[in-house]
Amino acid sequence: MEQLLNGLRSFIVQKNIHLSIHGHAYLGRSVLLRFLLFSAVWFVLTGSDTASWIIGLPAVFLAIGISHVISPYPSAPLSFIGVCSFLPFFIRQSALSGIDVMRRALCRQLAVNPGLVSYTTFLPEGSARIFFVNTISLLPGTLSADLQEDRVTVHTIDKNLAIWANMQNLELRIAILWRVKLHKREAL
Amino acid sequence: MMTLLDNVGMLCIFMGLPFFLTGTVGLLRFPDIYTRLHALTKADNVGLGLITLGLSLQADNLFIVAKLILIWILVLIASSASCHLVARSAIQKNIHPWVK
Amino acid sequence: MSYLHTSCAFIILCAIAAGMIRILQGPTAADRMMAAQLFGTCGVAILLLLAKGLDTIVLLDIAMVFALFAALASITFVRRAWHEQTGASR
Repeated sequence: MEQLLNGLRSFIVQKNIHLSIHGHAYLGRSVLLRFLLFSAVWFVLTGSDTASWIIGLPAVFLAIGISHVISPYPSAPLSFIGVCSFLPFFIRQSALSGIDVMRRALCRQLAVNPGLVSYTTFLPEGSARIFFVNTISLLPGTLSADLQEDRVTVHTIDKNLAIWANMQNLELRIAILWRVKLHKREAL
Repeated sequence: MMTLLDNVGMLCIFMGLPFFLTGTVGLLRFPDIYTRLHALTKADNVGLGLITLGLSLQADNLFIVAKLILIWILVLIASSASCHLVARSAIQKNIHPWVK
Repeated sequence: MSYLHTSCAFIILCAIAAGMIRILQGPTAADRMMAAQLFGTCGVAILLLLAKGLDTIVLLDIAMVFALFAALASITFVRRAWHEQTGASR
C-alpha cells in the first residue's frame, strides 16, 4: 500500500518535471489562451464600445502579467472532452446538492448527521487540486474544510452518504479535465 | 408581449426562489457553523443559477447573457472559496462540528 | 416595468430579512459573517431581477461589483477580524 502510494506520487512528480522541460511551447500557448480569456471578459464587461479598448488592452496585458506571477506554471490547456463531460456532471450535481439541502432544511426533524472525513488526493499540487477543493463544496453533502498538502478534510452533512466514492469520481473527472493521470487507482 | 421563451424563463426564476428561501431556513435551523455553510453555499448557488438561467432566456441580446453567466461564475467561485476559508479557520480555531 | 420580476426580488429580500435573525443570534462571529455572505448572493439575485424588471442594464454591472465585494469581505473577515479575536466572543 505504502509503496504503491509512493510510486504514484513519484509518477506525478515526474509528470510535472516533464511539463516544465517542455515549458516553452506551453508558455506561448498559455499566454495566448490567457489573452483570449481576458479579452473576452473585457468584451463582456464593456460591450461593443471600441474606444474602451484604449484602457482594455493595457488592462488585459496587466492581467496576463499578474496571472503569470500568481500561477507561473503554464499548464496544459484543459481537455475539450473533459470540459464537455464535466459541465453536465457539475450542473447536475450542484442542482442535486441544492435539492438535498432544501430537503434537509425543510424536514420536520433535522435530517443531518454531520461528521468530518479525511481524504488523500492524488491530484498534483496546483490548479487541479485547488479546483478539486473548490468543487467539493458545491457537490451534494460535502464541504471542503481544510487542505494540508494532499490531505483534504471534508465536512459531510450526512455520514451515511457514499462520500468516498463521490470524491473518487470527482477526482477522476478533474484528472481527465486537467489531463493528469491517476494510474492504478483501482489497485489500492 | 410574452413569448414561449419568456414564459419558460419566468418558470426558471420562480423555481429559483424556493432555493433562496430554504437557504435562509437552513442558515437559521442548522446546528453549527459547518452545516450552515452547507445550506448557504449550495442552496443559494442553485437559486442564483436558476435565476440567471431564467433571465438569460428572457434577455434581449447575447451580451446580457454573457454578462449574466460571468456574474454567476464569479459568485460560484467567490462563495466556494469563502466557504472553504470560513470552514478552514473554524477548524483551526478548534470549533468542533456538531455531532448527532 | 415588470411586476413579476420586482415581486420575485421582493421575495428574495424577505429571505435576507429572515437571515438577519442569524446576525442577531450569532453565536460566533463567523455565523454573523455567513449572514452577510447570504446578503451577497441574495443581493446579486435581487439586482439581476431588478435590472430586468426596471429595464436598467446598469444594475448588472453593480451586481458584478457586489459579487466581488462579497468575496473580498469574507476573505478579509477570515484573514483579519476573526483571527485577531480571542476566547470570549469568538
